[in-house]
Amino acid sequence: MTTELAANGKPYVHHHGAHCETAVTSALFRYQGVDISEPMIFGIGSGIFFGYLPFVKLVHLPVTAFRNKPGAVFRKAAKRLGANFVIKTYRDPQQGMDELRQVLKAGHIVGLATNLYWLPYVSERHRHNFGGHNIIVLRETEGGFRISDPTFGDPVDCSADGLERARFVPGPMNPRGFMYYTKSINPHPDLRGACIKGMKDSCSLMLRIPLPIFGVRGMRFLSKKVIKSPDKLGFQEACRHLAGIVRWVEETGTGGAGFRYMYAAFFHEVAGLFGSDELANLSKEMTAIGDNWREFSVTAARIIKQRGKAEETFAKAGGLILKCADREEAFFRNLQKVVRKLKA
Amino acid sequence: MEFEDEIFNDGLPKAYYKHNDNGQYVLETNAPWAEKVSCALIIAGNRANLEEIRKAVLAGQKSPLCYYMEMRQMDPGILAKAAGIAVFRVKRHFRPEIFAKLKPSVLNRYTKALRVTLEELKTVPNI
Repeated sequence: MTTELAANGKPYVHHHGAHCETAVTSALFRYQGVDISEPMIFGIGSGIFFGYLPFVKLVHLPVTAFRNKPGAVFRKAAKRLGANFVIKTYRDPQQGMDELRQVLKAGHIVGLATNLYWLPYVSERHRHNFGGHNIIVLRETEGGFRISDPTFGDPVDCSADGLERARFVPGPMNPRGFMYYTKSINPHPDLRGACIKGMKDSCSLMLRIPLPIFGVRGMRFLSKKVIKSPDKLGFQEACRHLAGIVRWVEETGTGGAGFRYMYAAFFHEVAGLFGSDELANLSKEMTAIGDNWREFSVTAARIIKQRGKAEETFAKAGGLILKCADREEAFFRNLQKVVRKLKA
Repeated sequence: MEFEDEIFNDGLPKAYYKHNDNGQYVLETNAPWAEKVSCALIIAGNRANLEEIRKAVLAGQKSPLCYYMEMRQMDPGILAKAAGIAVFRVKRHFRPEIFAKLKPSVLNRYTKALRVTLEELKTVPNI
């Protein structure tokens, strides 16, 4: 936790967060004086999701998304908490950078979606060509910008050229200079109502999308793919695909186990807010599901390392995903019933 | 030191939620083992792939454009969009004999899209 000064001299506290977009949103709210934690934003913005997108490839590997699409969490959370906010995209890079400078001069701090590969301060292990990484720009400095990237520990400097490149580079999930900031925030937001809306929305996202690649159905689809993969792709390639999935589960700023721990933390807070035991139990159940995902990733890592060849098979890894799918389906069906009883 | 630890010593740490004994959720910065293993595998795979393409370029089977595309983690579709050149032309330019005949105006588009200099684009690093 470090304190920095924003453009208009107002202090900004940099918190280390697990996920880029939720942490950015929570930082924007904190800056305006509403103290709201990262898991809370994640739950209110209906961040939890599952989608397996075999047709979108990042560095030759298919995308497995464990959260809602970039930009959605901020939009939903800001709407539900009654904030006055601005979201913009640009075609022309020059115009995008000019407007960023103007907004910074007006004394706002600005959230941006950028491409992770082109941000100059990112090290090799985080570098992949993914256009949905969110950062906060605090102020303009000489020849660059002061940036608070909540996924990393400390604020960093970034050159103007590098930032422009990262904002406007074409690629999968092209950010197109996606820029957002809050103009004003309701100082006493209706947290309970927002939480109920968020939870209801999450239930329908996970259970009711009638396509086989999203939600609980998507997990079952993925588990079938994983079980078949060694026969279809060969052992080496199947390992690479499995490693790709594990990276989406653990590495891409999920806070561990594909956001499931963060979602459990959300329920932990909400249980306190509503004083409800049912929600506290749901939090425990979500942690157990998270442990299940962690078990899957450990199994996958053991397959990759070829430890215990006899028992660690692709069938076991696929079975674990299937188990997660069953448990999550039960979880969200249960949540639907619990949410109906809650009163805002 | 193993390759996994080597790449994870480099760069800024990320945070992970952890359930502690008091029932609270706290952030910690130790990366889980599974993540280290799979990240190492993917990075090693990318490096090996890049090295293979570099050798193919030196052997005259592919053009340097292919190497730089792979280095920037792009595929022909993305490169085509970034440079403003049709995909089929980009794919044609992977052939060294066609790449050698390209006009500077076309090469400049690639240098802009890939952020390399014109001299670099014509060769690959020969280690």
